[in-house]
Amino acid sequence: MESMIHDMAERLFRDHVTHRMREDAASGQCPEALWTQIEEAGLTMALVPEDAGGFGVPPAEALGLVRIAGAHGLPLPLAETLIANAVLAAANMALPGGRLTIAEGEALRLERRGKKIHASGHLTLVPFARWANRIVTIGVLDGADHVLSLPVKDLIVDPAQDLAGMPRDDIELDHTLTETDAPPLPRPVGGMRGLGALIRSLATTGAMETILEMSVQYANDRVQFGRPIGRFQAIQHNLATMAGETAASRTAAEMAAGSYDTPAFALAVAAAKARAGEAAEKVGALAHQIHGAIGYTQEHALHHFTKRIWGWRDEFGTELDWTRELGRAALSSPHDTFWHFITDSAAKGTQA
Amino acid sequence: MTLTAFSPPPPGADYDDLRQEVRAFLADELADFPPIKRAESWNGFSRDFSRKLAQRGWVGMTFPKEYGGHARSALERYVVSEELLAAGAPVISHWIADRQSGPLILAKGTDDQKRRIVPRIAAGELCFCIGMSEPDSGSDLAATRTVATEVEGGFRINGTKVWTTYAHVADYMILFCRTGKSDDRHGGMSQFLVNLKETENMSISPIIDLAGEHHFNQVVFDNTFLPSDALLGEKGEGWSQVMSELAFERSGPERFLSSFALIEELIRLLREDATEAQQAEIGRLSAHLMVLRQMSRSVAGMLNEGKNPSLQAAIVKDLGALFEQDIPRLARSLVTRPAVPGGRDSYAAVLAYTELAVPSFSLRGGTREILRGIIARGLGLR
Repeated sequence: MESMIHDMAERLFRDHVTHRMREDAASGQCPEALWTQIEEAGLTMALVPEDAGGFGVPPAEALGLVRIAGAHGLPLPLAETLIANAVLAAANMALPGGRLTIAEGEALRLERRGKKIHASGHLTLVPFARWANRIVTIGVLDGADHVLSLPVKDLIVDPAQDLAGMPRDDIELDHTLTETDAPPLPRPVGGMRGLGALIRSLATTGAMETILEMSVQYANDRVQFGRPIGRFQAIQHNLATMAGETAASRTAAEMAAGSYDTPAFALAVAAAKARAGEAAEKVGALAHQIHGAIGYTQEHALHHFTKRIWGWRDEFGTELDWTRELGRAALSSPHDTFWHFITDSAAKGTQA
Repeated sequence: MTLTAFSPPPPGADYDDLRQEVRAFLADELADFPPIKRAESWNGFSRDFSRKLAQRGWVGMTFPKEYGGHARSALERYVVSEELLAAGAPVISHWIADRQSGPLILAKGTDDQKRRIVPRIAAGELCFCIGMSEPDSGSDLAATRTVATEVEGGFRINGTKVWTTYAHVADYMILFCRTGKSDDRHGGMSQFLVNLKETENMSISPIIDLAGEHHFNQVVFDNTFLPSDALLGEKGEGWSQVMSELAFERSGPERFLSSFALIEELIRLLREDATEAQQAEIGRLSAHLMVLRQMSRSVAGMLNEGKNPSLQAAIVKDLGALFEQDIPRLARSLVTRPAVPGGRDSYAAVLAYTELAVPSFSLRGGTREILRGIIARGLGLR
């Protein structure tokens, strides 16, 4: 797919995201200057509809940015900000600019107190919360999805991190909001978990494409027994397996991105997160096997990518969460046959 | 990295009206077709069924109208193919011809060959087989020994082909053999259209598979005469012609739906009350199937645009074979009913049939090892 915004992002990340930047980020340093450039390029608004200030690229193309960010190991919440802005726009809320993040709101309790809305509960493993201005989440009030945009400065953030050392923070919420700060969504999006799973599937795909490229390069360069190790069939077959898993993951993630905002999204994203997570396990293991001991060091770049894809498996639903959900849907489907369930799951994604 | 990018099938590729028509036809035609017959998947043979399908315009769908085809897209053909496979319809009688031999003749054949043969394929009348493997040439196709020597008015063929599926009932074979010497390992090969019903000095004998079934054959050519007009395409171009068939051969829904009858049997048993662990396994299976189907449809889209997605096809076939071979293991991990060949219980019978069928899935159409070698080279290994 030819895309101006993809080219722009590709250039920006290639020039600025370095091994050093990923190291520094893992020890707590937010790359502020790069964020400014990302925002000035307008990338954070790509998933916002044109009438809300976006620039009218199709959602699948806008979401392609997440795959590209994953391919570069970008240590910033671009994906989270894309989703946060899109959800805020869907709820007709102001887009505050700056770094935003998203949190699953399943554990959130919303209740009315007079004219106010009270929100309480734990938000756990919130990505990049301490680097963000606001956390956007979706909770249920009176049976309807409500969007909350919470200023981080008013919250107590308990820092933690994922396997790659990226901020994943816990937040205890006990907060009173006005009704305009927690408006209902005119159209439900199925909660924040699905949207989070979508961006993690895409980022996992991008990171795996880089892991595959690094592994092919290494197999061509590394000489043992008098020849590049890529000449050995055992290595070739491992690389071919990695390519198949990566291709499946990309197809799954792009199928989910293509069904964004359609009735097919719920099943497509379940398949995507489950398939990408399974691929991550195989691709990570094979990449380390091919790289040998050097790939197991801090010094080598490989770990920034493999640790990310392993960490992302645990966010916004694990493989087990999503396969159960998909399996329940398949087994309780009103269709005559399983086949009809499968074809129908894709047909609903056809955008009008 | 383009190898991992499978562009989505074009919008509207679902062809729901066509799909419903095919489903109605199959519900009618296969009303009394038992699960154990459906388990044969695309190995099931019925000339009668193929002819009826052709009467509906669903054989040779992509062929031009002047050759009896229907000028429809590869994606419409895809819808019909997957519906046939999911229902376990007996399709092998027309399958090979419709999938690759017809398109090959249309692309490389003479006008006379096209007129004589293609309309009969589209009518569902002709069954094709493929004469490729030999006793000493399996994955290593370049080691082919069968040779065609030019004589007056045609060629004399000598050599032996093996694993030739349905040669004992087929009307034509597309024969791959040597027609000359070449320094290039891949040079000096040609393809021939062999009329199996009329050719003399040729013997076809059964090779029984481990399930006791007769699909394979050995075909011996003993100074067999073929007329000049049996040559298909350019003399010496056989290798590149065969390679161009592979994207058709390796990417279709038959590369992941071969165990589908067992999946339907399994889900029927689990529907009432499944545990969470069983739900998760069915969910994983669903995810894999949804994704494989999208990848395979993507390749159909690329074929429709005239591209040659042979690398993507190799990926579909490698992943697809892993998927369909894993179904008996999955079934056994979720249900404790033993496999019984020919058993009265349809689940037990279909499990038995499928267990014995799956080892062939990563052999036919290119072994797993060959496919992975192709994919690895496509990745840029030096």
